[in-house]
Amino acid sequence: MSPRLSAADRAIGLIPWILAALLGAIALHLLAVLSLPALAPSAPFRKLALPLAPGERALLPRAAASSGGSTFADPFAALAVCRFDLAQGPFRVRASTDGDRPASISVRLADGTIIYSANDKQTPNGKFNVLVVTQAQSDAMDSTQDNADETRAAGEDDELRLVSPGARGFVLFRTLGLREGDYEAAAAARGGFACATEKTAP
Amino acid sequence: MNGLRALPFAAIAALALGMAATLAALQGDPPFGAVEMGPWRTWPRVGDSEIDPYARAVLAASGALPLGSGEGLAFVAKTDDFDAALDARCDYRISGGAPSARFWTLAAYDVDGDLRPNAANRYGLTSTALLRESGGGFVIDASRDAQPGNWLPLGEKSRFILVLRAYQLTSSAVAGALDGLVLPKITREGCS
Repeated sequence: MSPRLSAADRAIGLIPWILAALLGAIALHLLAVLSLPALAPSAPFRKLALPLAPGERALLPRAAASSGGSTFADPFAALAVCRFDLAQGPFRVRASTDGDRPASISVRLADGTIIYSANDKQTPNGKFNVLVVTQAQSDAMDSTQDNADETRAAGEDDELRLVSPGARGFVLFRTLGLREGDYEAAAAARGGFACATEKTAP
Repeated sequence: MNGLRALPFAAIAALALGMAATLAALQGDPPFGAVEMGPWRTWPRVGDSEIDPYARAVLAASGALPLGSGEGLAFVAKTDDFDAALDARCDYRISGGAPSARFWTLAAYDVDGDLRPNAANRYGLTSTALLRESGGGFVIDASRDAQPGNWLPLGEKSRFILVLRAYQLTSSAVAGALDGLVLPKITREGCS
């Protein structure tokens, strides 16, 4: 056997290992990309929402240079956040705005996916009333409602029921200062934002 | 036996390649789904449930909170109209039209997403506070040095990024059809 043939044999013998390394690299890469939104310490859910109890509201500080908040934050946005965990029950979000300045809410899963967002011009009288539920909770509500339609409270007519594909996440309320000196008024408008985990019927 | 000796090398290579590919994919902007309009780029799908896994991972790694599609759209510029990287050693004129929206803001950021420290402690401008020309147009002077009129302070670090956020767009942009959307020009003036 010549030395040249032996080197070629060795090279051919390495091909399966090279392919295995490439496949392993691809698998590792995909696993990292898919798991990072849930695991990254900088992810908004972990950084902003996880320290809160479900239903607890937090008012986020104004974005400024080296404020340590979210990256690429709008310096004119006043934000408030609530965490939800639908394993503990449906989650009610209410917000009312004065209509003077833009306001919006967005419902985000723990991995950051935005499953719903709307602004104050898209809701009746600039009021938000969103009930975030699982599919099972929604089905249970429907069956209860079929049996006792007349007991439905008139005040819930403007309710938007949002079936969430995930049990954990957070709701972000955003209102905007119209100019440099208007941030404090926008920040005060966050008082109209409230959220709570609702009790489910036993 | 010889083949088995290659196993640790293959495992290390897989680990190194996988990590390198992940780090490369998560650097900077979401790799897919960008819509470009001159120097401005936006990623319409990051604001709804159609977001792709790479964009989701990039946003999680960066800690950014994107606008929901019902809230508005953010447009990012890293270059001027002639494709030169934005540099705070130069002055820029941002002018022309803006998206048809209820309200918009413009702010300058470091490349890592922090607002830029400046002596005036002003981090941006809003559509309602702009001084307008008679036809409704506007001119914003982005500069390290104070300027009369609409001044966007740039701070000291050289490289910077502009982000224009259009809230409550009145066009069909929310549906992903960005045709006809007007964005301001970014023109480099003098450099020091």
